[in-house]
Amino acid sequence: MSGFVATVRHEVLSARRERMPQALLVVFLGMVTISSLIGWLTHRTVTSVWQTTVAAGLTTAPDPFAQATPLSYVGNVVIYVILIGALLAIVLGVSSTLRGRRSRTTDLILSRPVDVAVHLGAKLAGMALWLGVVLAMAATLTWLSISLILRGALGAGDTARLVSFFALAWAFLLIFVVLGMLSGVHGSRETSALLLPIVAWSVITFVLPQLGTAALPVSLLNPVAAVPVQGAGFALVQQVVGPFALAEQFKTLSGTLLGTGGAGSVGTAAAALAIALAVGLLALLGTKRDHLRRDLRD
Amino acid sequence: MTSTLVVARKELLDLRRNRFMALLLGFILVAVTLSVIVGAAQFRVKLDEFHQYVAALKASGSTVTAAAPQLFPLQLLRGSIEYIELIGALFAIVVGYGMVAKEKQRATIELLFSRPVSRYSVAGGKLLALAVTWLVAVVVVFAAVIGVLLVVGRAPLQPVDAGRLLIAATVAWAYLLLWSSVAMALASTSTRLSTGLIAVLVLWLVVVLIVPQIGDTMDPDNQVPGGLFTSLQIAKPDEQAVLAHFAGYDTVRNGLEVTSVTKHYERLSFALLGIKDTFNQLPIATVARQTLTYSLSLVLASAAAVVLALVTTTRKRLLRRTS
Repeated sequence: MSGFVATVRHEVLSARRERMPQALLVVFLGMVTISSLIGWLTHRTVTSVWQTTVAAGLTTAPDPFAQATPLSYVGNVVIYVILIGALLAIVLGVSSTLRGRRSRTTDLILSRPVDVAVHLGAKLAGMALWLGVVLAMAATLTWLSISLILRGALGAGDTARLVSFFALAWAFLLIFVVLGMLSGVHGSRETSALLLPIVAWSVITFVLPQLGTAALPVSLLNPVAAVPVQGAGFALVQQVVGPFALAEQFKTLSGTLLGTGGAGSVGTAAAALAIALAVGLLALLGTKRDHLRRDLRD
Repeated sequence: MTSTLVVARKELLDLRRNRFMALLLGFILVAVTLSVIVGAAQFRVKLDEFHQYVAALKASGSTVTAAAPQLFPLQLLRGSIEYIELIGALFAIVVGYGMVAKEKQRATIELLFSRPVSRYSVAGGKLLALAVTWLVAVVVVFAAVIGVLLVVGRAPLQPVDAGRLLIAATVAWAYLLLWSSVAMALASTSTRLSTGLIAVLVLWLVVVLIVPQIGDTMDPDNQVPGGLFTSLQIAKPDEQAVLAHFAGYDTVRNGLEVTSVTKHYERLSFALLGIKDTFNQLPIATVARQTLTYSLSLVLASAAAVVLALVTTTRKRLLRRTS
């Protein structure tokens, strides 16, 4: 048990010291801080546009943001979790396993009677803890920025929704930490170990959603869901590839938790994320001792 | 000059043997072609809906005529261009970074500089290899896209389309070379290889994803599913009249977007291929005149990146870092 705690502490310390995650962390927290401002500015403009069109007698449609909640300002944070957060998680995961391989400490540790699953589990727990701290900081920044915009503290209900969203983001990012760790364990070189999960991330974020909905890659970076095309087999393709489009599933669940509305089934989205995390964990914790120590044979 | 060519030839051989490089290029090829197939399928859906609409009109005895949706084949390339700007740039970084990283990791840089090579031979050779690599990659990608347009999209391409595609391919080549050169320069100047990779990946994240994303989400029309003005049922001329009241906001939004070279690449390509409706079917010369700022900025940025890579990938800098 002490070995487990020592590994967890070592991971947290290393994650704090690594420069690449630090750089991404600065970008992530910076963007989270200003995202509410961007959301508020955009909402205000859209409402002004609507007022102008109504005044000119061009429309009788209701204000599109009449029912918008204060949490709709944080729509962009969902995208920053998918973009910057996922990359940060990948880098953390890859660095964690590669660090041990490069310094040969993994070989040394596994020469002792240490269970591989416990060792990798402790590494993951350390990074999960670190990510938890990062997301707690992001949640606090978001809460403060919305409260500042509202000129009053965010209500208890909305605060609970915000906390549940960041808890979901934590679980979502763990999938990418596991993906990064797997790549670090199996990759032959540092560059390919880092880039293969990034390629997988780009497939999940851009390619799969396009196949099922015909949404354009750039439009997937918009927090507002694209209207899916019906017909020509798109619905069928979406049924097959949709669950693998984890970023879209995360957007669906986030929309539900934040009360901003999600395009898709909540059950499917939750199941897709849970299964992806479970499969990743099984693959990671099932890593063979010989495979982890293969560098000794090189 | 000879040593530059020797370095370039060796780099090209390395890249040809690199399985990871083949994987990356294969991936981008699959992504861009799939994107055209999806675009073609989407157009067919639109056409089917139109036919159903016409049939319903006839059945109701209506004499109203509706305009059929028109296929502009090059507009099907929108997703492909977006893949090149997002994922292509990332792969360009990988290739450019690898040019210097592999020499440092294998310690072959000392061996290379033990030969009587001139100041810019090594950098020049590597840049030449990058230029050739991206030329071949862009030719393959655009050839595949044209093939898919003709076969799957059943799109009748006109001779003028060939010119548009040729210029769009050249623009894509300049964009990819820009990112490879930046990555090469940062890998050369950083004291630790990982620092160079961090810097260029963060730069990619900000320039390619974050800045355009902010601009995109600040667009009022992107705030409602299907578009704000569509949901308000406002015609295009009225939309422009309304937006004229928000010129200041749009100037800030646009000003933010144009700080990203990726947006310049996107706007230039969209204009050339007629993806942006305001440029669709305009003569190439007119489009070129109206997008001169973007062409110039892309050319200047690419040239600056190449020069930066050339002056930073030197014996003094590379050997100092590895000693």
